[in-house]
Amino acid sequence: MASSLSDTIGNVPKINRSSFSERAQRLWSRWWPFYVMLLPGILYFLAYHYLPIWEARIAFQELRIVPPNIWVGFKHFVTLASSPVFLQVLQNTIIISTMKLIFIFPVPIIVALLLNEVRSPAYRKTVQSVIYLPHYLSWVVIGGLTIATLSPNDGAVNELLGWVGIGPIPFMTDSGSIRWVVVFSEMWRSAGWDSLLYFAAIIGINPELYEAAEIDGAGRWQKIWFVTIPGIAPTIATLFILNVGLFFSTGLDQILNLSNPVIRSQIDIVDTYVYRIGLQTGQFELATAAGLLKGLVGMTLIVTAHLASKKLTGKGVW
Amino acid sequence: MLKTPKITVLAALLLGTTLSGAQAASGEVQMVLKDFLSTNENQATYVENIEKALAEKGHDIDIKVVDLPSGSYADALGVMLLSGDIPDLIYFQGGDEKIAAQGVLEDWRPWIEKTEYLKDALYPHNKARLENYPYLLFVYPLRGWQPVMRSDWLEKVGTDVPKSLEEFKALLEAIRDGDLDGNGQKDTYGFTAGGNLGELDGFLNPAFGIDATWLKDENGKWVHAQISDQEREKLMFYHELFEEGLLDPEYVTINWEAKEDKFYTGRAGVVSASRAGNVVVYETKMNTIYPDTGLTLLDPPSGPGGQGLQAVDVSREGRGWAMSALSENKEAVVALLDFMASPEGQMMERLGLPDIHHKGSGENIEVLPALGSWESPFMVAANWESPVKLLPEAAEKYLQNMQEYFIPDNQFAFPADFAAALDATDNDYNAWAYRFVSGEVSFDRWDEYVEAWKADGGSILLEYAEQQLQ
Repeated sequence: MASSLSDTIGNVPKINRSSFSERAQRLWSRWWPFYVMLLPGILYFLAYHYLPIWEARIAFQELRIVPPNIWVGFKHFVTLASSPVFLQVLQNTIIISTMKLIFIFPVPIIVALLLNEVRSPAYRKTVQSVIYLPHYLSWVVIGGLTIATLSPNDGAVNELLGWVGIGPIPFMTDSGSIRWVVVFSEMWRSAGWDSLLYFAAIIGINPELYEAAEIDGAGRWQKIWFVTIPGIAPTIATLFILNVGLFFSTGLDQILNLSNPVIRSQIDIVDTYVYRIGLQTGQFELATAAGLLKGLVGMTLIVTAHLASKKLTGKGVW
Repeated sequence: MLKTPKITVLAALLLGTTLSGAQAASGEVQMVLKDFLSTNENQATYVENIEKALAEKGHDIDIKVVDLPSGSYADALGVMLLSGDIPDLIYFQGGDEKIAAQGVLEDWRPWIEKTEYLKDALYPHNKARLENYPYLLFVYPLRGWQPVMRSDWLEKVGTDVPKSLEEFKALLEAIRDGDLDGNGQKDTYGFTAGGNLGELDGFLNPAFGIDATWLKDENGKWVHAQISDQEREKLMFYHELFEEGLLDPEYVTINWEAKEDKFYTGRAGVVSASRAGNVVVYETKMNTIYPDTGLTLLDPPSGPGGQGLQAVDVSREGRGWAMSALSENKEAVVALLDFMASPEGQMMERLGLPDIHHKGSGENIEVLPALGSWESPFMVAANWESPVKLLPEAAEKYLQNMQEYFIPDNQFAFPADFAAALDATDNDYNAWAYRFVSGEVSFDRWDEYVEAWKADGGSILLEYAEQQLQ
């Protein structure tokens, strides 16, 4: 009697639930080639992104070459915060990150939209190749180019400004200009490459939507506004959220190559400060504490941005 | 009861035996050195030659070179050491204090005392530095910034080597106005530097009375030179140079490569060299553009405060070789360095590889052009005299001046906790110094600068200095 009850509830037959191992076996036998292909990626993330989380405990320790390490609690965080210039460094980081987010983030979108409007495939490919190129240059090269181009003596920019009676402006030693130099040099380097994702998203938009818009009498601007931009909105949202997550990673290499003693106080960011105080003097615990702090702030920002995006647009990163 | 004394005596006997320089040593020596790689053909051959020479002396030493990237050497070395991978012989270029504080680096002094050659190969500044910080050994001549210029340009200008600040300034004016590069424009700066004013300070500090890092003010209190009255006077002189187009206004934004480029292409007349090797490099490169053009080393000009070169920090070596206290092959490490300090080792160190950097032997040694790019990896012994001329005149003069004008600095090592304050005050100094020199801010704001310097950590440096310098 009990047995028959367990098989059916009323006239509904009991679902035959298989165990976890049976399901895993079934999934493996069906999809194993894909799991094997996934393996290197999983190993990479385990080794370089998850194991370091455990090692981040040295932010709370005094590192000893001969173990054991000594537990020092929040000492390194206090050292960081009590530095007389740390607040200035934090402020610089926030200002430069905000400037980058506001002025650089929209540029690749605009570039992708413009590229999509180019009708000659040959011309478009040429433009794409040219604007992707700076992405492959190191900051050492870009730093040198920037300093030479902006030189008040024989730099191209000051020569151009001279033609219209302006300058010369010592951009690289002027505290009012240097943050803009940081923003524009980053824009020059990344705008072309970053437009690639948006351009791929635009190509993925159903052409029938454009045809329907044309039938409705939409012009070029209206098609961009009502078809293209809504079509790439999920990509924009995702990349914006990811960019917010990297808010505190403003670009160590860039600042190191553009910095000089005169304007350092204007563009000294958390990364460069920690590099000088932590890594160059062998205080790896201090550097880890700063890295952990950055990670926590980044995670908080990314989750907040994701939840806000979900609430406002229904779309998020996950 | 008797065990401890017995062990102590045995250990002492063993130590005495192992410290003996004449004792044959054996074992594997792992060494790590910047820009020295097992994959470099010349360097690998050099290591093989050393091993062979050591074997002839009865030492069976196998040298293993640990490869580290040159660009981020200090960082990579720190990570390697803190992960527990510690070579026997380590070249540090910063970051050693933290390692030494953990007792992982050996005190060189008892080991050097027992050597046959190394103990006599040290310079006076090495001995002073070892007494203050016995973990790093850097047996090379003193380094400091000294000015050089093209000899043919000095002749064209028609003046002697400047002896005073006024004459030095007059030389820079003549370079500016003389169109010495013959391009039809008066566009050559008298002096350029690669990033900061240290390259002028190197030979002008004593002229303004800055003969140490810590100076006494009129109240008898210690002040850092960066905020001293003497510094103010010096920056006013630099401001004159800047304003009159004698000092390259881009000195603060360019790096050493751009500085050298300006020198070789005639856009700057005088630059500073930080060591004798650099004088050789400058002359070699200049010769590739203008054959047979030699360089002249200028003497430090005298000023109201005196004459000389910047005081030398003897608180410790800033770089150099350390021996791991955990090494099981310390005898082999010391035997290796002792051999490199010996006459035979120095022949190898200074003359490089046969048929590449020199040819012949004995009195018939001929130096080949490639020697200009050879760096002695281990040491340049103070007591060794080369059988052939190795350095051009300007480089010889550089070494001579370093000895002649040597003054020890009263700088001392700050504990690691002061790193942030030192960094902040240096930043303040460099930023304000440029503003004063360029005329962006008036010298009326000197007190404002001093206050900012103190507020950003200078006050605690001053307090600590008062305790240390009592």
